[in-house]
Order: sequence, then structure tokens, then C-alpha cells
Amino acid sequence: MGLSFVWYLREFVRAEWIKKFLFARTAPLVSPSYFRGFPEPTGKTCQHALFCMMACPAPGAIEVVHAGDGWIPKIHKGHCIRCGLCVEACPNEVLTSGRILETMEREGTSLLFSFRIAIDKDLCTGCGNCCTACPVNKQADAQMGAGGHSSNDEVIMRVQEGDIMVIHEDKCTGCKTCETSCPNGAIRIARILEGYQQPVQEGIQ
Amino acid sequence: MNILQRIKNAVRSRSIHVAYVDVGSCNGCDIEVLACLAPRYDIEQYGIYVHNNPREADVLLVIGAYTPGWEEKLAMVWEKIPAPKAAITIGNCPISGCLFDRKGSFVDPPVKKHIPIAAEVPGCPPRPTEILQAILSVRDTVFANWEEEHP
Ligand code: SF4
Ligand code: SF4
Ligand code: SF4
Ligand code: SF4
Repeated sequence: MGLSFVWYLREFVRAEWIKKFLFARTAPLVSPSYFRGFPEPTGKTCQHALFCMMACPAPGAIEVVHAGDGWIPKIHKGHCIRCGLCVEACPNEVLTSGRILETMEREGTSLLFSFRIAIDKDLCTGCGNCCTACPVNKQADAQMGAGGHSSNDEVIMRVQEGDIMVIHEDKCTGCKTCETSCPNGAIRIARILEGYQQPVQEGIQ
Repeated sequence: MNILQRIKNAVRSRSIHVAYVDVGSCNGCDIEVLACLAPRYDIEQYGIYVHNNPREADVLLVIGAYTPGWEEKLAMVWEKIPAPKAAITIGNCPISGCLFDRKGSFVDPPVKKHIPIAAEVPGCPPRPTEILQAILSVRDTVFANWEEEHP
């Protein structure tokens, strides 16, 4: 009994124990390399596809701004929630964060965008503002004038007999210029984000 | 600086008492603050203690997007803290309202327009290491030599 008590006390005068008691430190304050931090630029050229801004769920978190003669995505700390969706959405791998890009490559995943144009026929007056404002329409039919009439079949939408008609929804790039130019709030663009995974075949990398 | 002052400074910067107040968060940041207390990060090794009583606190951690219920109350909590003191906001919410600052919501960020803020830790939620780093940097700038700077 007495001996075991002495043995017990002896534990506390061991140099190693005293050193640990006084100077023990947990791991230093560094983030591990796999931590998904604020997205960082990889150095690849931004093509102004704006998919990052479309995917971002946090208001005001990402903005693609002019830098020299090109573009660069700018992350606003205090708004960004570090979800990494912009990293996944960018088709040009301009941003990186943690090991998102490596995981996407390994698992064969990607994010695809598509857009739905919804026009409320009760609100629409057929003014054609949206048709003339749309930059894709402008490329397809440079002659389209006020009123949104066009004989071109390649446009996204045009006004026919006083009614708006959507012809090529698939060409929409989701810029929402039409939404801001509509005087009645009749046109709405829904951005649809789909996650895809390429099935990995056995034995093939 | 005399030796007494040196000792006082050294002791003061090794004994930071923290109170935290949640002014309307989703609880994500609260959990990260809690994680600082756990052995994995162990803030007591840096001489930081959580007391959650403003009268005993040196540092106030503010978490959340400032809901209307906190009008006046947060300033009251802040005034109760004896000087030297500093407030640190944790997370995106006190900076921008994060995802809650939308049309029709009642939150009123940023918190820095209600009380003076010494440091902000962005992230949703920030890592415990980022919170710790903010407290340590405030300790070094606000508390290290307070008497000399406020004669
Ligand atoms: S990480 Fe998420 S929240 Fe941050 S900018 Fe990218 S998409 Fe937006
Ligand atoms: S979102 Fe842009 S591309 Fe799509 S229809 Fe509207 S203006 Fe045209
Ligand atoms: S701008 Fe609005 S009101 Fe005019 S045609 Fe387009 S959807 Fe209709
Ligand atoms: S910053 Fe994010 S995790 Fe923290 S309280 Fe706000 S919403 Fe929640």
C-alpha cells in the first residue's frame, strides 16, 4: 500500500511528465492541405463563361471582374461559404480549392447547366424587348429591330403575330439580360444545375 | 517599461477570458467555437478561457446575423465588459448576413455598425484554427501593452 503510493507520487516528478505538463501543445494552427478553403486561382485563363457566378448559392460571394485585358473571378470573403460549387462549375478549371479538382477527375464528375425560359403569357404584352436585348439573338440575326420580329429560325425567341415564341431554348446562355429588359417582369430564366458522373469501368482508368 | 508592467502585460496576455453571444446564427459557428474548447484544439493551452459572463470577459465573440431581438441588448452586453476589451465576429453572418440577408428577412448585418469590432473571421463556418488565430492576434495587438497605450 505505502509503496504503491510512493510509486504513484514518483510519476509526478518524472522529468518527462513535468515537461509535458508545462509545455504540451496540440497540433499547430495550420489548415491541412485537403481543407476546402476559399477558392484560389489556378492560373488558367478565365473565359468569362460565368458558370461560377451562376452556381454560387451565396449572395454576393463571387464576381467576375476585369483584370488587364482578361477576366478574373473575385471571391468576397464574408460572403463566400466555401461550398466549392464554383470550382466544380467552371469548365476551364480557373479556380481550385482543397482537392475538389482531383476528386472530380478521379470520380469523373461534372456539373452541367441548362436554362429554361418561362414566359407568363398573361403579363407579356409582346413588346419584343427581350428578343432585341438577348445577345444570342443579336448574333443569330443582326437585323432584328425593335419589336422583336425576325424571319430567322436560329434565334432563341421572336415575336410572331403579337405573341412571343421561344424557338431555341437550348441556345440560352443564362445571362438574364432579357429579364432585366422586360418592362412587365413577364420573362423568367431558370438555371438548372445537374451533377453528372461518368461510370468508371473496371480495369480502365 | 518597468518590470512590474512587463509582468502585468505577460500575465494579461496569457489570461484572456472569452464570452460568446449568439445574435441569431444557424448554430454552425457556435459548434466551431465549441470545438475550440475540445482537446483537439484546446484553447486553454494558449491561456484563453471561456466564461460567458461579460463582467469577467476580455473578448466578446459575436456569432450570427443580428436579429431584431438583439437591438440594444448587444450594445448592453458590450458595455458591461470592463476595459481592456475587444469584440471579434465569427463567421459570415456578422459580416454580411451570409445566406440569411435576403429580401424580406429581418436581420440587420453587419454587426460592426452596432458595436466596435476588432477582428472578423470570415467563413461559413470558419475553422477553429481561424477563430483561435483571430483571438491570438487580438491578444497581441489589444492586450499586450494596454496601459502604455492608454495612459
Ligand atoms: S465556394 Fe461556393 S459560396 Fe464561395 S464563391 Fe464559390 S460557389 Fe460561391
Ligand atoms: S437569358 Fe440571355 S441568352 Fe437566355 S434568352 Fe435571356 S437574354 Fe437570351
Ligand atoms: S420583354 Fe417582356 S413583355 Fe416584352 S415580349 Fe418579352 S416577355 Fe413579353
Ligand atoms: S456564418 Fe454560416 S455557419 Fe456561421 S452562423 Fe452564419 S450561416 Fe451559420
